[in-house]
Amino acid sequence: MSQEVEETLKRIQAHKGVVGTIVVNNEGIPVKSTLDNTTTVQYAGLMSQLADKARSVVRDLDPSNDMTFLRVRSKKHEIMVAPDKDFILIVIQNPTD
Amino acid sequence: MANLDAIIKENAENTERITQNTQGYVISNNLHGTIATSTYDNTISMGIIKLLCGTLVDTARSAVRDLDCTNDLTFLRVATKKCEYLIAPEEEFTIVVVQ
Repeated sequence: MSQEVEETLKRIQAHKGVVGTIVVNNEGIPVKSTLDNTTTVQYAGLMSQLADKARSVVRDLDPSNDMTFLRVRSKKHEIMVAPDKDFILIVIQNPTD
Repeated sequence: MANLDAIIKENAENTERITQNTQGYVISNNLHGTIATSTYDNTISMGIIKLLCGTLVDTARSAVRDLDCTNDLTFLRVATKKCEYLIAPEEEFTIVVVQ
């Protein structure tokens, strides 16, 4: 299992334009990251908050629906958030690269 | 306001073309917080405007700016089990397409 995770993360990180990947547990604590400590903590906190908000918005609109994926595009980069039961995966990519 | 209506009318043909395979769309007037045009009924449209264009866009934008104050949110996609929301926030209006 853990090897599978490692390989998947390596594959994503090798993708062109990917700046970094972060894995955050459901307590909002980063457990794995390719970025420096400060950036990781900042991204982990803000993105898990945003994912929670997005999920509650989706459920408010339709209680039988659920969020599966979130993409935040900004002027400088794109952040992709894939929430799962116990962890959320955050990938930051630079689309201009 | 009249300006926004005119723009929407001007782009009606384009809108028609790109929404062929979508479930629906809502354009909100950000200055008034009202529905500029929508394919949904009033209740659903207002829900989308309040939650997606209001709460979620504000949270996403403040997160992006917290990370880098010279950066700004341009587009937001929320995939769900049933559909995907594509949200394009602009200054005077926000477009939400559901597909």
